Amino acid sequence: MTGYSWALAAGLALLGAAALLDLTAGARRERRERERERREREAREAWLRAAPYLLGAAASACLAVTGAGALAGRAVRVGGAAGAGGGAPATTAGGLLGAGHGWLLGAGTGGLAADRLSGLFLLIAFGAATMVSLAFASWAAHTGPVRRGLGAGYALCLGAVAVVLTATDAFTLLFAWESVTVAFYLLAGFDRDRSGRPAAALVTFAFGKVSGAALLAGLLLLADRSGSLALASFGSVPAGAARTTAQVLLLAGFAVKVGLVPFQVWMARGYAAAPGPARAVMAGVAVNVGFYGLWRTLAVLGPAPAWLAGLLLVLAGLTAILGIAHAAVQQRLQQVIGYSSVENTGLILAGFGVALVGAGIPDEQLVAAGLLAATLQVIVNAVAKSLLFTASAGIEAAGRSDDLDQVRGMARRAPWSATGLAVGSLTLAGLPPASGFVSEWFLLEALMQQFRVPGLGDRLVLAITGAAVALTAGFAGVTFVRLVGMVVLGPGRHGPGTPRAAGPGGQDRRVPPARARQADLSGLPGRIAIVLLSAACLGIGAVSPLAVRVISAGLSPVVPALATRGALRSPWVLQPVFSGFSILSPGWLWIAMPALLACVVTVALAASGGRLWRVRRVPAWRSATAGVEGAGSYTAFGFANPARRVLAGVLHTRAQTRQVSPGDQARTAHVGYSSDIIEVVEEYLYRPVLRPVQVLARQAKRLQSGRLDAYLAYMLIALIALLALVTALR
Amino acid sequence: MAARAAPARAASVPDLWEEITREVAAGRRFAGLMGTRRRDGLALSVHLAVPGGIETRQAVIPPGSAGFPALTPRLRAAFWYERELHDRFGIVPEGHPRLEPLIRPGPRALPRHVTGPGLFTIAHGPVRSGVTESVEYLVETPGEEIPHLNLRVFYKHRGIEDRHEGMTTADGVLLAERTEGIASVAHALAYCHALERIAGVEPPWPAMLVRVAHAELERVACHLDVAMRLADAAALGAATARLGLHKERVLRLVSRMCGSRFGRGVVVPGGVSRLPLLGPAELLAEAGKLEQAIMADAGALMGTSSFVDRLRGTGPLPPERAAEHGALGPVGRASGVRDDGRDARPYDAYPSLGLGRPSPHDEGDALARLLVRWDEVRQSFHLLRQAADELDEAADQPLRRGCEVAAGRAAGWAEAPQGEVLYDVSVRDGRITRCRPRSASFHNLVLMHEVFAGDILTDFPFIEASFGLSVAGVAGLCGHCAACVTAWSPPGGPPGRIRMRPPCAARPR
Amino acid sequence: MRGPATLTGAGAAPAHAGLAGLCPSGAISSGGLTIRLDQGRCVQCGRCVAKRPDLFAWSSGPGVAAPARQALVVPEMPETPERLAEARARLRRRTAALRRSVHLRHVDAGSDGTEEWEILALLNPAYDVHRLGVFFTASPRHADILLVTGAGTAGMAGPLRRAHEAMPEPKLVMAVGTDAVSGGLHGGGDGACGGAGGILPVDVWVPGSPPDPFSILYGILLAAGRLPGGAAAGPAPSRAGDGTGRRRR
Repeated sequence: MTGYSWALAAGLALLGAAALLDLTAGARRERRERERERREREAREAWLRAAPYLLGAAASACLAVTGAGALAGRAVRVGGAAGAGGGAPATTAGGLLGAGHGWLLGAGTGGLAADRLSGLFLLIAFGAATMVSLAFASWAAHTGPVRRGLGAGYALCLGAVAVVLTATDAFTLLFAWESVTVAFYLLAGFDRDRSGRPAAALVTFAFGKVSGAALLAGLLLLADRSGSLALASFGSVPAGAARTTAQVLLLAGFAVKVGLVPFQVWMARGYAAAPGPARAVMAGVAVNVGFYGLWRTLAVLGPAPAWLAGLLLVLAGLTAILGIAHAAVQQRLQQVIGYSSVENTGLILAGFGVALVGAGIPDEQLVAAGLLAATLQVIVNAVAKSLLFTASAGIEAAGRSDDLDQVRGMARRAPWSATGLAVGSLTLAGLPPASGFVSEWFLLEALMQQFRVPGLGDRLVLAITGAAVALTAGFAGVTFVRLVGMVVLGPGRHGPGTPRAAGPGGQDRRVPPARARQADLSGLPGRIAIVLLSAACLGIGAVSPLAVRVISAGLSPVVPALATRGALRSPWVLQPVFSGFSILSPGWLWIAMPALLACVVTVALAASGGRLWRVRRVPAWRSATAGVEGAGSYTAFGFANPARRVLAGVLHTRAQTRQVSPGDQARTAHVGYSSDIIEVVEEYLYRPVLRPVQVLARQAKRLQSGRLDAYLAYMLIALIALLALVTALR
Repeated sequence: MAARAAPARAASVPDLWEEITREVAAGRRFAGLMGTRRRDGLALSVHLAVPGGIETRQAVIPPGSAGFPALTPRLRAAFWYERELHDRFGIVPEGHPRLEPLIRPGPRALPRHVTGPGLFTIAHGPVRSGVTESVEYLVETPGEEIPHLNLRVFYKHRGIEDRHEGMTTADGVLLAERTEGIASVAHALAYCHALERIAGVEPPWPAMLVRVAHAELERVACHLDVAMRLADAAALGAATARLGLHKERVLRLVSRMCGSRFGRGVVVPGGVSRLPLLGPAELLAEAGKLEQAIMADAGALMGTSSFVDRLRGTGPLPPERAAEHGALGPVGRASGVRDDGRDARPYDAYPSLGLGRPSPHDEGDALARLLVRWDEVRQSFHLLRQAADELDEAADQPLRRGCEVAAGRAAGWAEAPQGEVLYDVSVRDGRITRCRPRSASFHNLVLMHEVFAGDILTDFPFIEASFGLSVAGVAGLCGHCAACVTAWSPPGGPPGRIRMRPPCAARPR
Repeated sequence: MRGPATLTGAGAAPAHAGLAGLCPSGAISSGGLTIRLDQGRCVQCGRCVAKRPDLFAWSSGPGVAAPARQALVVPEMPETPERLAEARARLRRRTAALRRSVHLRHVDAGSDGTEEWEILALLNPAYDVHRLGVFFTASPRHADILLVTGAGTAGMAGPLRRAHEAMPEPKLVMAVGTDAVSGGLHGGGDGACGGAGGILPVDVWVPGSPPDPFSILYGILLAAGRLPGGAAAGPAPSRAGDGTGRRRR
C-alpha cells in the first residue's frame, strides 16, 4: 500500500482510538483533596476531555492528506482484492479501482479506495473537520463536566463519513451510511434531558432511516441488475425502468441527507439539538456525504431523464427560498444557521440540476459549469457552516443562552467567536470579497446559460430557478445583517436600549464576567480553529483559480478536467466555463478593494490636515430623555418583523392583538400581541399523514401481544411465506 | 351677542359631574375643564358647547381637600384635563385611570401597554428629523405595526397661563397671539370676544369684516401647510414645492394687508387696529388668482393615485369615538362631528355671511381629513370674497369701540383652523386675574392614541400631519422657575406618584 | 417686509417722558438723554410706532441678524462697530470650512410654531436655499449650524444640550426669533425661559417675532461668512434709521 493508503488507515485507526478513549475516560473517585490537588485534577480532566477531539483532529488531518493524495492521482486503497492494489489510477469518467466481484456479501472483497472524486470530498470534509475538531477540543476542555459518549459519537460520525467517501461496494456504503445516521442520532440526542431534544433526535433518526431505506432499495436494484455489489459496475446496467427507478431512489436518498424539500424538516431542529461544535460536525462535515453521493450517482449512472432534472431544479429553488425565509425570522441563533443550511442545499442542488440538464443534452461544458458552481458552493458551505456553528457554540457558552435577544453585543464579551460569526455571515451572505460571492456568482452564471439549452421546458425551469436563487441571495443579506448587527455589534448587555430596563439596577449577577469570557473557546486550539476557518472563508475566494484547478481535478470522474478548466480564462480571471459570457477576478478584487480603501483613507487624512486625529468622544446621540419600560431599541424579533410580513405567503404569518388583563408579565398591559409562523411543508405534508400512521401503529401494536404462542405462529407464517416467495421467483 | 352671565354654580363637585354627564348625554359637547385657585378653595369650571354659545358651570373644592372624584370614568373626554389639574394644583382626581404627569417630566419609565414577544418602544422625539415642533411619541411596536402609542408633551411648556396673570387687557392680546402662533388671529379673536362679552360691546361692521378676512386667510394658510406636510411625507417633491409656494403667497398677501405675515396686531379688543393696506378690489383680484392656482394644484394632488392610496384607510377615527370625545375642527368633521363654531355659535360677521354647504366627507381616515380641508379652503375663499365685497361698500366708520373692562368674567371662542379655541378670561381692576386658553390642539391631541388601527410605522407621518395640530397650543403651567418643575416623590410614597410644591407667584412685571 | 422696531434718531430729549411701560416686553429703556431699544426683545407689537412715530419706526430689510447680543441694541455704543467687526472676523475664521455649503439642524425649544413655518419656508421655491448650498439635516452629527427657536423651556434644556454636544466642530448656534434671543414675552429675569442664550453659547442672533425668511437667510449667510463686505470692508452697516440711508429700502 502506498503512503496515502497508510494515511487512510491511520486516520480510521486514530478515530477508533478517540472513541475508545472517550468511552473509557477515567471514572472519578470521590475523595477529599486539597486545593492544589483539585486544580491539578481539573487540569488533567480538561486534557482528558479534550484528548479524543485532539486525536480526532490528527485523524482528520491524516484523512485530508489522503484526500489530497488521491486528488493528485496517487493510489489509495485499503483492503480489497490483491489484484487490484497499486496500478495506475483511473482518470476516465466513471472509473473506480477494484474489479467486480461476487455478488455475495462483499466483505473482504470490497475494501476502501479513493479516486479523485473521493479525494476531493475527503479534502473538503476533513479539512473542515480538522479545524472543527480543534474547536471541539477547546470547547470540551472549558465547558462543564465530563461528557462521556459525545466524543464517541463524534468519532463514529467522522469514521462513518470517511468510509462512505471511500466505499467501493454497496454493502460498505450502506453500512457506513447507517452508521452516519446512528451517529447523528447520538449527537442530536446527547442532551436528551433538555426540552425538545429527544423529539429532534427522533426526527433526525427517522429521516436518516428513510434515506437509508431509499438507498438500500436503489442499490439492491442496481446490484441485482448488474450482478455485482461493486459500485463501478452499476454503470453497465442497461437503460430502462430499473435504472431510472434506481436513479430516483438514489437521488432521493441522498437528497434526504442534505435536506431538499420536502425532506428538510429535520435539519434545523436536528442541528440545533446537538451540543456545541457537534453541530459543526453534522452540518459542515457530515452533510458532504450527501453531496458526494449525488455526484457519485451522476458519475456512475450518467444522465438522468429530463423530467427528473427539471423536478430537481424546481425543488432546489423552493428549498432555497423556504430555507432563507425561515432563517430570516427565527429567534434562536442555532435555528437561523440551521435554516441557512437548508438554503445552501437549495443553491448547491440548483447547480447540480444544471449539471443534470447538461448531462441529458449532452453538453460537457454545461455539466462542468453546473458542477463547478455546485462544488464551489459545497466548499463554501462546509467551511462557512463549520465556522458559524463553531462561533455560535462559543457565543452560546459565553451568553448562556440561545435567544438572539439575549446574546447581543458579543463583540465585547466573546470577541473571537463574534469575529468568526461575522466572517461566516459575510461569506454566506455572498458579499465580496469573501468566497461566498465567488460561488454564488458561478451559480448564477451557470443558471443564466439557459439560453444554450434546446428544450423550452428546460429553459423555463432554469429561468425560474435562477429567479429563486437571486431572491434567496437578497434575503440572505437581510438575514445575516440581522445576525451581525444584533449579535456581534448590538448594544452590550447593559448598554442603552437593551432588553433590561435602563438604569443602574440592571446588573446581571448570574454570570461573573471573568467566567463568561473564559467560556469563549479561550483555549489556543479554539482560537486557531476560528482563525483558520476565517482565513479559509476569505481566502478561498482570493485563490479561486487554484481552487478551480483542484476542483477540476476532483471532478474528472464525472466530467473531463479540460472542460472544467475552461473556467480559467487567464491566471487571474475566471469565467463561467463558457467563454465570452462574463468574467470575474476575485484575486484582483482582493487587491483592488483594500487598495482603494487605503487610497481613500490616505487622501482623507492628507486633505484634512491632521483634523481626523482629533477625536472627541461623546455618547451616542438619543434625543429621547427618560427610559421606557422594556426594550428601547430594535429587538431581533422586531428587526425580522418586516421580513415576516413580506414573506407571509411562504411563512403563513399570523399576527393578532387581543385584550389582556394586567398580570405578572407587565403590570399595566392591556393589549397582547403575538405573531406566529408555520413550516408549510411540515404542516401540510407531514401532519396530515401523521395521524393515519399513528392509527396504523396502534393497530400494529396489537401484534405485540406478549404471548409466546403468537410469536411462534408468526415465525411459522413468515417461513411459509418466504418459501412460497422463493419458489415462485425461481 | 348674548349677554354674559355669571357661571352657574353647582353645590359640589359630584353634583357638577352629574349635571355635565346629563348635558352631554342630551347632546351638548364637553368643551373644557379648568381650575382656578381662589380664597375659598379650588374652583373647577366646566365649559359646555351649547347651540348659540358656551356655558360655564362651576363647583368649588374646599381648601384642605387632597382630591375630588374624577370625571374621566364617566366622561372620557376629560382625560387630559384632569391630569393637567393634577399637575398644576397637586390635587388628585380619585378614580382617574392613568394619573401620570402630563405637562411636567414624569417618572423614569413609562409603563408598557402592550405585551408580547419582541416588543420594544421607539422613543421618537422630542428632537425629531425635520423642522417640527418638539413632542415625544413613544411607539410600542413589534417591528412594523403600531399597536399602541404614548405621547409626552411636557417639553414645550412655557407658562402662558401664569404669564397672563397681572397683565393689562391690552397686553393680553399680544400673549394670546403668541400662544399658538400659526392660529394667531383665531386666538386673538377668542380673547377679544371674551373681553367684548364682559364689556358688552360689539365691534363695528367694518372691523368684523376685516376680522373675517384675516381669519379666513389664516385658515387657508394652515390647511395648505397640512397638505404640504402630507405631500412631503409622500415624497412628492413637485406638490410640496407648489403648495409651499401657495402658502408663501398667502402669507405675503397677509403681510401686505397688515404688515405682519401672520396677521398679528390686527385684532384688538373692541375691533381692529387698522383697515387692510390693500384696497378691496386688489384684495379680490389677489384672492381670485390664489384660489384658482390652489384649487388647480389641489385637484392635481388628489388625482395622484399613489398619494391618495397612502391616505385611504390610514389613521381612522371611529365616528362614535369622535362624537364621544367631541373632536374639534377638521378632525371631528371628517368623522361626522359636524360642529363648526362659525355656524353653530357664529360671531363677528359670520351670521351675515353665507357659509355654504358643510363638507360631506366623513369616513374618518386621513383622506377624509384632507378632503374636508380642501372644502374648507374653498369655503374660506368664498367668505373672503363676500367680506371684501362688503368692505367695498362700508363707509368711513370707526374701526373699534371702547372696550375698557374693570371687572368680570366671560368665555370667548373662535373657530381656528385646528378647531374651536376657547378663552376663559377673568378681569379685576383692569388687569387679568385668570386667563385660560384652551386650544383645539390640546383637546384633539389625545385622540392620537386611538387612530392607529393596524397601521405601520411608515403611516405615522401621514397620521400626524393629517391631524394638523400645533404642539405649542398645549400650553401649560409655570415655567419660569426651573425649580418648580423638578419632580420629587415623598419617601415611602407609592412609586411614580409625584407631588409638586405649590406654584410660585407670577413674576411681577 | 417688516423687521423689529428701531429708532428714527430724530427725537428730542423732553419727549422721552411717557416711555415707561410703553413696551410690553421691556425692550425700550431710557436713561438720561438716550433712548435704547433692544431689538432682541422686540415682539413687533407696533405699540411704540403707533404711539410715538417721531421716535420709533419699523426697520426694513433683512439685515437684522448680528454676531453679538449687544449689537442688537440701537443705537449702537461707540465701540460697537469695532467689536462687531471683530466678532464677524472671528466668525469667519471659525467657519472657513463651511463657506460653500452648510448643513442646518433645527431644534424647537418652546416656540409658538411660527418660527418653524418661517424656517421651513426657506425650502419653498420662493427662497430655495438649496441653490445656496444650505441644507437641512436630521442628524446632529452631520450638522454645522444649530438653529434654536423658542424661549428655552426647562423641558427642552436637556435635549438641546445633547443635540449641541452631538455636533462635530466647527459648529455654530443661531438663536432665531425674539423668543430665542431674549425670551420675548415669556422672558423672566431669573433665567429660565430667557432664550437660548441661557442654555447654549449662541453665535448669531436673529431677532423678530417671527423673523421673516429673508432675515433668517441673512443670519445663515452671516454665520457662514458669505456676506459681502465682511470684516475686510469696514464696520457693519448701522442698524439705526439715522439717515445714513444704507439699510432702508
